[in-house]
Amino acid sequence: MSQFSDVRVPKAETVAIQVTAPNQVKLSGTITQKDPANDLAGFFKALHTAALADRLAEVRADVSGLTFVNSSAIRLFVDWATWVKNERGHRYTLRFITSRNVTWQKTSFMALMSLAKEVLAIEHVT
Amino acid sequence: MSSSDRSSPLPSSSSRLAVAGSARGPSRPGEGATLSGRTLVRVICTAGSGALEYTHAFVTAYTADHLRGAVAQRLSVGAYELLSNALNFGSVSSDIVIELIESDNMVGVRVANDAIAARVAMLTEHLVKLKTNAEQTFLEELRRSVTGGIPRPMLGLARVAHEAALTLDLQVQERRISVTAQCRR
Repeated sequence: MSQFSDVRVPKAETVAIQVTAPNQVKLSGTITQKDPANDLAGFFKALHTAALADRLAEVRADVSGLTFVNSSAIRLFVDWATWVKNERGHRYTLRFITSRNVTWQKTSFMALMSLAKEVLAIEHVT
Repeated sequence: MSSSDRSSPLPSSSSRLAVAGSARGPSRPGEGATLSGRTLVRVICTAGSGALEYTHAFVTAYTADHLRGAVAQRLSVGAYELLSNALNFGSVSSDIVIELIESDNMVGVRVANDAIAARVAMLTEHLVKLKTNAEQTFLEELRRSVTGGIPRPMLGLARVAHEAALTLDLQVQERRISVTAQCRR
């Protein structure tokens, strides 16, 4: 039984979220609300906890369809990477699926790699 | 890379500071100049209102329709972060004005608002850091956002300068500050 795929998806106005067993979460749309942590921080934390419980080797976070996020949302991705990095027991690779055509993704995930390269992987789609 | 027409980094009653964006190669003539030209869009927001998301959506849709895709995306980042800063840190006693401006070669977004002197000084100091090294400042702010730095991380303007590679131009006249983020069309 996968805890990961059982994580409850929050309702958010501008972003569509889909969790797929065994290890994929897909976000598309935009994240522009002033404090996206209200909707998403708990969700990301739940995915992280479930991934550990399922002893996943990798979590695939497909953000290629996220055309715009604000800086508060970028912090949420930084937080997630930091949780994985700080795990002392089992930890998984957090693989972000990004788009070369979306400006914010190019620099933000490159910078994120420099903060937590031991637990992150970046994959580009068109 | 960048220019300032005042030697002091701190604002006087009237001053200007320009910061070239990074990651898009060397700047070209005119990129650090004050943007003047035709105003395509002008929105007046009440300070403290919830105008951020709606105004940003409008500006993003407008730029996507009128400009090249990559330029529109960069200006979308600029519009959001500048307006967000103005709404969060500006004085609530005056309006915030956001404009989309184009000249023959350049296009940019300008946000004007009133602010207290301490805020102007903080903003100026941050822009000086960005002027020195936008990429490094972006990384520092990203790192600080993990640790919950004090003062609060200022990732927004670092995004504008580094990620969106927009040239930032701060103009201060008494309490009125005007920040422009611009690039070639």
